Amino acid sequence: MTEEPRIGVYVCHCGFNIAGTVDVKKVAEFAKTLPNVVVAKDYVFMCSEPGQDLIKADIKAHNLNRVVVSACSPSLHEITFRTAVSEAGLNKYLLEMANIREHCSWVHHDKEKATEKAKEIVRMAVAKARHLEPLQELEVKAETSALVLGGGVAGMRAALELANYGFNVYLVEKAPTIGGKAALIGYVDPKTKGAEIVSKMFDRVKDCPRIQVLTNAELIQLSGFAGNYIAKVRLNPRYVNEKCTLCGECEEVCPIEVSNEYNFGLNKRKAIFLPFSNAYPPYYAIDYRVCVKCGECEKVCRFGAISLKEEPKVVDLKVGSIIIATGYDPYRPFKGEYGYGLHQNIMTLFQLERLLDPDSPTKGELIVGNKIPKSIAFIQCVGSRNTTPGAKEYCSRMCCTTAINSAVKIKEKYPDMNVYILYKDIMTYGSDETLYEEAGKKLVQFIKFEEKIPKVSITPEGLFIDVFEYTIQENLRIPVDAIVLSIGMLPPRDIEELIAVTRVSCGGEGFVREAHLKLAPVEAPTKGIFLAGCITGPKNILESIRMGSAAAAKAMSLLSKGKLTIEPMIAQVNEEKCSGCAICVGVCPYSAISIKKVNGDRIAYVEKALCMGCGTCNAACPSGAMQHLGFKDIQLLAQTRAVFGGEMNV
Amino acid sequence: MSEKPKVAWYWCASCGGCEESFVDLAERLLKVFEAVDIVFCPVAMDFKREDVEKLPDGSITVALINGGIRLKEHEEMVKLLRKKSKIVIAYGACSAWGGIPGLANLYNLDEALERKYLEVPTIENPKEVLPTKKIIVNIPEAKMKAELELPEPLPVLLPLDKVIDVDYYIPGCPPTPDVFWNALQALLSGNLPPKGAIVGASNRSLCDECSLNETKPEKVLVKEFKRPDKAKPEPNKCLLAQGFLCMGPVTRGGCTALCIKGNMPCTGCFGLLDGIVDYGGKAISYFGSILDYSPVEDKEIKKAFDSIPDWVGTIYKYSLASAKLSHKAGAKKPKRIKEVVEI
Ligand SMILES: Cc1cc2nc3c(=O)[nH]c(=O)nc-3n(C[C@H](O)[C@H](O)[C@H](O)COP(=O)(O)OP(=O)(O)OC[C@H]3O[C@@H](n4cnc5c(N)ncnc54)[C@H](O)[C@@H]3O)c2cc1C
Ligand code: SF4
Ligand code: SF4
Ligand code: SF4
Ligand code: SF4
Repeated sequence: MTEEPRIGVYVCHCGFNIAGTVDVKKVAEFAKTLPNVVVAKDYVFMCSEPGQDLIKADIKAHNLNRVVVSACSPSLHEITFRTAVSEAGLNKYLLEMANIREHCSWVHHDKEKATEKAKEIVRMAVAKARHLEPLQELEVKAETSALVLGGGVAGMRAALELANYGFNVYLVEKAPTIGGKAALIGYVDPKTKGAEIVSKMFDRVKDCPRIQVLTNAELIQLSGFAGNYIAKVRLNPRYVNEKCTLCGECEEVCPIEVSNEYNFGLNKRKAIFLPFSNAYPPYYAIDYRVCVKCGECEKVCRFGAISLKEEPKVVDLKVGSIIIATGYDPYRPFKGEYGYGLHQNIMTLFQLERLLDPDSPTKGELIVGNKIPKSIAFIQCVGSRNTTPGAKEYCSRMCCTTAINSAVKIKEKYPDMNVYILYKDIMTYGSDETLYEEAGKKLVQFIKFEEKIPKVSITPEGLFIDVFEYTIQENLRIPVDAIVLSIGMLPPRDIEELIAVTRVSCGGEGFVREAHLKLAPVEAPTKGIFLAGCITGPKNILESIRMGSAAAAKAMSLLSKGKLTIEPMIAQVNEEKCSGCAICVGVCPYSAISIKKVNGDRIAYVEKALCMGCGTCNAACPSGAMQHLGFKDIQLLAQTRAVFGGEMNV
Repeated sequence: MSEKPKVAWYWCASCGGCEESFVDLAERLLKVFEAVDIVFCPVAMDFKREDVEKLPDGSITVALINGGIRLKEHEEMVKLLRKKSKIVIAYGACSAWGGIPGLANLYNLDEALERKYLEVPTIENPKEVLPTKKIIVNIPEAKMKAELELPEPLPVLLPLDKVIDVDYYIPGCPPTPDVFWNALQALLSGNLPPKGAIVGASNRSLCDECSLNETKPEKVLVKEFKRPDKAKPEPNKCLLAQGFLCMGPVTRGGCTALCIKGNMPCTGCFGLLDGIVDYGGKAISYFGSILDYSPVEDKEIKKAFDSIPDWVGTIYKYSLASAKLSHKAGAKKPKRIKEVVEI
């Protein structure tokens, strides 16, 4: 814009929020003295209808071509004021916010000094506003289908939600069945089986033509950008097709036996196997990692359902958005942690959950070491809350409820069994608290420990737990027949691969981080990628399902129009200045930059839809060729000069 | 006869390289002499200050000034030339940004003089003689005293534009004959660039004209910085990609990558590009951008940085005097310089 800037400055009182600490009248008077400011006013609530009208009227009356609103944080009302100025016919990017609330009035007491600081903030905003340029939003065509990665409860819910609203979904699952961990939890509350919950979801998925389930599938590469992703998915061979009738004859002849991960190692399975009775898709699968291709199963199958010739395939899926719902891994106690791995009667909570499931090797009977124990103790916080050296700092949120739920279930089934729960704190939050009460009524015995964790002894006389009971301040030695370790949740083992492929990032606890917990929940920092379920941290099934719905809703709002608007405040290359030195290429966290040939010269190219406007390349570019629109060097330098009281004319 | 443009050429704190670059114009020099009249050029012709003083104000068409402003005499001369000239050009890195002599600004003048006259391994000065403003020399044979006056040094070295208004800059240490020639052509064509412009060179950084740029990997990331005196660069592979601290990306092109062709990394003598405020500041953010450390290990990064023994001399080799932080604080009047000495 070549015309001389004509700036209006609007100082907000925000009731007493600002005016209580800052002399807003003085700030407005000061603003009038700044170069190019033609009008400056104060008003009680700038964001109110009359406040906005004031700006609109002034834009017309004074022919303003820049507006500075001196009020709260731009994250709160920048959009409000952008809309207001655009309604008055001004490009909405010719607005600059001066935050004199969060950055000034809220953090100061001394009115005089706060007023001086507010003036400086306004001075900076005016200095920048003089260099603002009009910017245009861009539109790109977008795919309307989505890819959901991970078929646990969160992923299934997200897929169903999207499909119900008419979007096509690829549900990409690494395992031979969808369902995730919830399918393996015996009882999620005393009346509901985990298997039932997932079965209901399977039925819906099966009936939905818009969901394409791809099992044994892995995302190996993700290119493109929001609205136009290309997901390279490897389909590992299952070797068994839909002709399978689940007769199970193949399983009999298969010579390969491995530990059964679907029962957490309680028993063995063959290389050809059915993960669990209601697995989906409902056919056997051959574990391609262990199968020796002896061909025995192929020979025995009467339905021609097995073909060992199947090869892995790689497909390119074009999708507009990705939902990551790859869940968690259960904590793996180390050998000897509370005696784990040293005695067959010491098991994890997940192993207990399997035993209690009617679909288990014991048909739901709590049989350990060939008999039903007379007493059983749960040790809580295994792998969580810093109990042992390998443990995480966080609370896994689920293990208390699950342990208590199992204890209640055990008491219902075996009323005479002694059930102990050794805990640090009981975290049965929300309505789960009733379970805790119920357990008390059923005479489950709660024993509290603090820093000193219980000690498990394996003796010829049996298992013993030594614990210092914190409430009665006494050392106890409890003889028990079985011990259950209430294990917590870990980020999935292969999270590094996930990060490498999808460019999501991790928080301190190792789970994938949302862009902002309050301002951008469920979103990954990369546009078009959303997160659901335990991949962002421990949750119960209900919470995971809800997050699946939320992620789907966000994905839908992105996909629904078939096109995407791109924020114009992104990086832009000045091709006259760029030398193709490629320094910017390596720093972009979103891989938005590449080097292209333009008239024979190497020139940096920014893929607009990929650029998230982080500004890193601008800082790195040694030539000043890469400029972040809305935060150009010249704009920031003007601001910096202003704060140091320098000359306003640059 | 129509008047030829009048050209003056003056030298301040310079090494002689800039003057050499003029001579290196070789046969093109004849064309220069055809096109212009030289009215002042102490390096080659016997003109005196009085000759300049006598000229009417604004009568010199172009004054080329090379070298940094180190002495009071330089200051006086350039002010005089400014008055007498229509266009003043800062010629070469020292004049434009202070150049290598500007690195003396890391010390105050006393420290710099001591270093120069007493400490450096190549000096022998048992009587510890330091420069003095006035020396009275007794000559008993002639029964007379002679007085010698030396120009007083300034507390810090200044680039030309901190002393007078400068119209254009010609970059390089020294500018190559081609760059000088390009600049002359531009200026003599009468088609003058906007004031403050850097003339004769490129508007892109050196990588643009370096033939090795094609060999750069997609992402340039380095784990350690190598130095050409310690490691031998492979030929035909971008030096930066090999870990040599090449200033090419942050330096204005125009030299045709002469150093790189000789297997030496660029040291930055063509200076900063348009829109960059501080060469060294930009250089540091550029190095920070290519360091390959994730997750960031403090110790490793320190090791990488420690591999360059003289950071200021690396990133501000030619421009310390014009940097935002341009000299050591307290660069006051020197204590060691005596007013008068009689020998
Ligand atoms: C011991 C224990 C007991 C629990 N008991 C209960 C309970 O009683 N009630 C309750 O509400 N909650 C319980 N939970 C929590 C419950 O398991 C989770 O809330 C729920 O399973 C989370 O669902 P999800 O879809 O996020 O993840 P998951 O169930 O982990 O599903 C993730 C899916 O993604 C797949 N996947 C993983 N990586 C990839 C990849 N790279 N590509 C493709 N697919 C991939 C996995 O194979 C899996 O199918 C318990 C947790 C623990 C640890
Ligand atoms: S839910 Fe209970 S057992 Fe699990 S980590 Fe939290 S406090 Fe410990
Ligand atoms: S601003 Fe630059 S570094 Fe940041 S996302 Fe955009 S292109 Fe990449
Ligand atoms: S860093 Fe700057 S000059 Fe180098 S390629 Fe990127 S935009 Fe071009
Ligand atoms: S050698 Fe130096 S100048 Fe040449 S391309 Fe590499 S970084 Fe650029």
